[in-house]
Amino acid sequence: MRFAALLDGTVATAAVQAQALAGFLGDGLRGDLAGETFVLYCDERDRERLVDLAPTRDVRLVKTAARRPERMFDCLTAAARGGDTALFLAAAGATGTEIVTRLACRAGGGVLTDALTIEARPQRLVCRKNVYSNHLVGRFELRARPWCVTVDACWNDTRRSPSPSHTILSESDESGDAGRPGATTDTRATGATGAAPFADAELLEAPSSGDLAKSRFLVVAGYGAASREGTERIADAARRMGADFGVSRPVAMNAWAPMDRLMGVSGTRAAPALCIVAGASGAPALYWGIEKAGLIVAVNPDERAPIVANSDAALLDDAVAVLEELAEIVAGRRTHE
Amino acid sequence: MSAVRVLVCFKVTPDFEALREADWAAAATQGVQTRYVRRVLNCFDESALELALGLSDAAARLGVTVELGALSIGGREVDPYLKTLVALGYERAARVAAGADGDIADTDAAGVGVGAAAGAAGVDGAGLDRAASGLDFAPAVVASIIASYVLRADHSDLLVLGCRSGPGDGGTVPFRVAEALGWPCLTRVTSIEPLGDGRLRVGAMVDDGLLRVTLRPPCVLAVGNALVSHLRAPTLKDRLERRERRIDVLAAADLGLDIAAELRREACVPTALETIDRRRRGAVIAGATPRDKARTLFDSYLSDLIETL
Repeated sequence: MRFAALLDGTVATAAVQAQALAGFLGDGLRGDLAGETFVLYCDERDRERLVDLAPTRDVRLVKTAARRPERMFDCLTAAARGGDTALFLAAAGATGTEIVTRLACRAGGGVLTDALTIEARPQRLVCRKNVYSNHLVGRFELRARPWCVTVDACWNDTRRSPSPSHTILSESDESGDAGRPGATTDTRATGATGAAPFADAELLEAPSSGDLAKSRFLVVAGYGAASREGTERIADAARRMGADFGVSRPVAMNAWAPMDRLMGVSGTRAAPALCIVAGASGAPALYWGIEKAGLIVAVNPDERAPIVANSDAALLDDAVAVLEELAEIVAGRRTHE
Repeated sequence: MSAVRVLVCFKVTPDFEALREADWAAAATQGVQTRYVRRVLNCFDESALELALGLSDAAARLGVTVELGALSIGGREVDPYLKTLVALGYERAARVAAGADGDIADTDAAGVGVGAAAGAAGVDGAGLDRAASGLDFAPAVVASIIASYVLRADHSDLLVLGCRSGPGDGGTVPFRVAEALGWPCLTRVTSIEPLGDGRLRVGAMVDDGLLRVTLRPPCVLAVGNALVSHLRAPTLKDRLERRERRIDVLAAADLGLDIAAELRREACVPTALETIDRRRRGAVIAGATPRDKARTLFDSYLSDLIETL
C-alpha cells in the first residue's frame, strides 16, 4: 500500500506541517506502507526549501496558486483515482481539513480529521481521535478508499527530521486559470467556471499567539477570574512574574481578553516547563493545550474541579488573590537578586 | 437589488462539561449517557446565528434585505431554540426531525456506547450501535440533509454554520455541504459584513493569519472563533408578536433521503470509545491565607525552576 503526505507550501505554516507529518509517519502510523509527499507551492523561490522539508524521500511537486486549494484537487483526485495510493495524509488546520474532505468526496473515499494514531490494514484504516470535547478517545474505521486523514495538532510539536535526501518523481503546474474546472461548479458563485471564488483576498496579520506556543512559563486564566478586571489582574501578575498569558474559552468569549490568547483545542497548544492554571476548571478542550507542560499548578477554590487532580500541585483558593501574592514573591526574589 | 436569502444551521448538544468524571470513566463500557444533561447551543453555531442577525441589521442600514432562516436536526428539544430565533427575526424556522417524531434515531433515547448490547451492529463485535447513535459521528449524512434542504426546500443563497460541533468535532460538514452544492466554502469565519451591492466582506482566521475576502453568494461560511459569541435575547414583545409563527418539521424522507441507507454508506465508522487518564499528583498545598499558600508553592516547587525559565 502507498500513502501520500500533503505539504501545503502556499502558506507560512509549511515547516510546522512538515514537522507534524514527519512525526506522525514515524510514530503515529502503523502498517506496511511506502509513500511520497505532494509538495504544493506557489513561489519558485520557495521550491527548494519546501522540498527539503518533505518527510519522505519521494516528492511530487505541484505548483498552484496561493489560497486556492481547489486548484490542487484535480491533481490529487487523479492520483486518488489512480488506485495506487490508499492513504492521503495532511497536517491539522483549515487547509488540511478542506483538502482531505473535498478529496474524499470527489474520490469516493472516507475522511477523518485530527487523527492521534492510525493503523493501516488490508481493507480498512483504524484511526483514533479525540471526541466529546476531548473527554474521550474514539476509535474509527475507514473502509472506502482512498482514506483521507488529517493528523491531530498534537503532532505539531514533535521533533522528527525530514528525509535526508529527496527524489522528485514528477512536477505539475496547476497555477493557471485557463481551462481549469476548479472546485466551484456553481456559476452563480464565480460568474465563470474556474474563476476565483473569493476576490480581493488580503492577509491582514499573522497570528500574534506565537509566544504562547513557544512559552516556557505560562499563566492561563479561566472563568474563575470572574470579570474583565479579574482577568487583567491575573494578566498583570503573569507579566510581573515574566510569564506569558493565555486564557480559557469562556474568558475569550466574554471578551475579557483578546481571542489570540485562547489556549486549547480551538486556540494554542504549548509545552511550557511551568504552567499555572488560575481559575479554570481544566476542561479537556483546554487541557489539550497544556498537557505537555512540565509542571502544572492549579489554583481553584473547587477541589472537585478536574484541573486539581490533573495538576502536579493545587492551591484551593481564589485565583486572583493567589496569583497576586505569588507575583509579589517572585518579583521580590528577582529584585533581591 | 434582490434580497439575500440566508440559512443558518445549528446544533443543540448536551453540555458535555456538565458530565462528571465518573460518567466519562464509565463511558467506554456503558456509553455516554446524556439524557439528563442540560442542552446548549454548539458554541460556533451560536456565533453563526448572531453573526447572521448582525449581517441582517447592517444590510438593513444599506437598504438591502436579508431573509434569515434557521435549520436544525433533532428532536422536540430544539423547538424552543427555533421559537427564540423566530422572535429574534428569523423568518423561516425548520427542524428535520429526529427521535419520536422523525425517521432519525434520537441519540438521547439510548445513549451512545460500546456496551455488549450496543455492539450488535458494529465492527468486530464492539461497534457503536449505529441505529441508536442517531447522527452523531455521521457527518456525511448531516451534510446530505443540509444540502438536500437547501436544494429542495429553502433555496438559500448563503449558508452559515459553525465550523465544528460535538461529539465528533471533525469540522468536515461545511466542506461536504459545499461539495454537494458546488459552492465555495470559507471556514473559521470571524466576521460577515454586507457591501450593499450583493457582495459580502468576510474575515476568516486561516492557518497563517487573518484573511479578508470579498465574495458574492452563493457560498458556505463556517464560523470559527468570532468575537460575537453570544446570541442576543428577544424581548417579551417580540416573543408575543411572533408566537404564532410556524416551525416547519420535516422528515428526512420529505427531502428524498433514506437515512438508514445513508448511514450504511458512511465511510467512517465509529467502533469504540477509550477513556483518557490525565491524572497527575494533584498535591494540595495547605496554608491559612493565599499568601501562605503562594509562599509554600514557591518554596516547594518554583524557587529553583523559575530560575531556569
